[in-house]
Amino acid sequence: MTAPLSKTIVLWIFVVAVLVLLSAPTIVILGASFTSGNIITFPPEGFSLKWYEKIATSRDLWDAFLRSLYVSAICTIVAIPVGTLAGIVLAKYAIRFEKSVQIYLLLPFTIPLIGSGIGLMLIFGEARLLGQLWPVGLACCVINLPFMIWAVIASASSLDPDLELAAASCGAPPLSTFLHVTLPAVMPGVISGSLLMFILALNEFLVSLLLTDARIVTLPVQIYNSIRSIITPDLAAISVVFIACAALAIVLLDRLVGLEIFLKSK
Amino acid sequence: MRAAKSAYPLTWRIMDALEAFAAFVWPARFGRAIPWLMLAPALLLVGLLVLGLWQIGDVSLRTLDTSTFLMSEAYTLANYQRAFTESLFAVVAWRSLAGSLIVTVVTLTLAFPYAYVMVRTSSPTTRKLLLIALFLPFFIGQVVRAYGWLIILGNQGMVNEALGLVRIAPIRLLYNYWAVLFGLVQYMLPFAVLMLAPALTAIPEELEAAAGSLGADWARTFRHIVLPLARPGLVGAGLVVMTLSLTDFAMPAILGGGSQDFIANAIYDQFFRTSDQGLGSTLALLLVAAGSMLVGLVFTLFGAGTLAVGRARR
Repeated sequence: MTAPLSKTIVLWIFVVAVLVLLSAPTIVILGASFTSGNIITFPPEGFSLKWYEKIATSRDLWDAFLRSLYVSAICTIVAIPVGTLAGIVLAKYAIRFEKSVQIYLLLPFTIPLIGSGIGLMLIFGEARLLGQLWPVGLACCVINLPFMIWAVIASASSLDPDLELAAASCGAPPLSTFLHVTLPAVMPGVISGSLLMFILALNEFLVSLLLTDARIVTLPVQIYNSIRSIITPDLAAISVVFIACAALAIVLLDRLVGLEIFLKSK
Repeated sequence: MRAAKSAYPLTWRIMDALEAFAAFVWPARFGRAIPWLMLAPALLLVGLLVLGLWQIGDVSLRTLDTSTFLMSEAYTLANYQRAFTESLFAVVAWRSLAGSLIVTVVTLTLAFPYAYVMVRTSSPTTRKLLLIALFLPFFIGQVVRAYGWLIILGNQGMVNEALGLVRIAPIRLLYNYWAVLFGLVQYMLPFAVLMLAPALTAIPEELEAAAGSLGADWARTFRHIVLPLARPGLVGAGLVVMTLSLTDFAMPAILGGGSQDFIANAIYDQFFRTSDQGLGSTLALLLVAAGSMLVGLVFTLFGAGTLAVGRARR
């Protein structure tokens, strides 16, 4: 079936508009990071790597970046077992109060981020945990947990329950069945979910802003603080680090599970 | 000895030991509890949020003593009275609500054709490119994207430089309401497309062909076949976009430059500028309540859409 020309034109006008809207900041940041001028202008005044040199020697920025990586690592390490087990249960077991459990586990999405952040700030404050980094990672894990659970549910639902019964009838004890049949089947979900958790925690801004103090800011907070004082191209260069991380995550996601997985209907 | 070892390798022995251990600590008759045991860590983690809300509720009932900067011991509803009567908060609430409505309509209008083309295109390369263009900003984060807009729209930014070339005086593009909404639309587009795409995949292409063969032009097919069938996706995407933009902090803070505060910025200011935790908590709790009511309202009116989780109903 070939689409009428008018349809193609109208649709592509929208698509191109959205493409420009989506990509403009990324492209501009990439361009600005290579400028040799001091203020950001476009087109860039000459090509230079001096801003990369500057960030490479800036301890503040690197420390903030390492802290962000640490937070993301904590978030992902917690999210993998927690989200995988919960996702498998929700996808495969009939349990009592199933609806209530589902609604409860969606709370991180229904409670506004500022609410979750303030609440966690208050209870971490009571527990004297503020000023450390791992609670930030834990917080990032809580607020994004539904992503992990969704990803696991998506691949667990496609596992035929008969396979697990077959394993059991061949004499596999429960743990072996779980490790050799269930777990490999949900692996694509676990991989895409944990990649998502890592990259979202790396970029998490508001919750980091609330839970960190001046000594332990993460990179997004560091950038936010610098934006408000003065705009210099070294920020563009450090933003390119984020762009590179995002690109890496996309390549990994595509290689490991395929981006098209997000188009599948449930 | 060697032969026996290879016939029954070490990994098997370890598995045997683990199985025995599992059977010892968790005999089969407890089997019914296993799902709950597997759910427990997730339930506990999300419990942190419930605990946080409880704490917010507690603090919201205390007022700040401005002479000692301590919270009062006794509970009072004074903060709620202030939240509902002071005109500043009404202005901020209306600004956020109207903004999120506009952002939702614009985002869905832009996202729908994009998702449609992405799902329906016959070229795998086009599909992949559209997906990558979607995921890249999604994975880059709000602060960096807002920074990109500062470069483009700033007083000495690209747009104004370009206008200068044709001798038009610089226009103040940033730090107004429309800049915030513009930033929010860009921030929300990937969410919207990703929520719409599965719903569009579920619509059989044959239905559109059938409508066409019955004489409907493509606009009518779109209006009467695709849009109604995509409703679960539209509901899910609309709800996500609406709640996320209603409660956003970064875009109003960066692109609004302090003059265009949304509710989240007002809450943040109460905590970190005025140090009035009580009033800040009150506003936060009211925002949570408003958000939940919105979700509940949409769910009862339109169903859970693509947000429904759990087992496929077989």
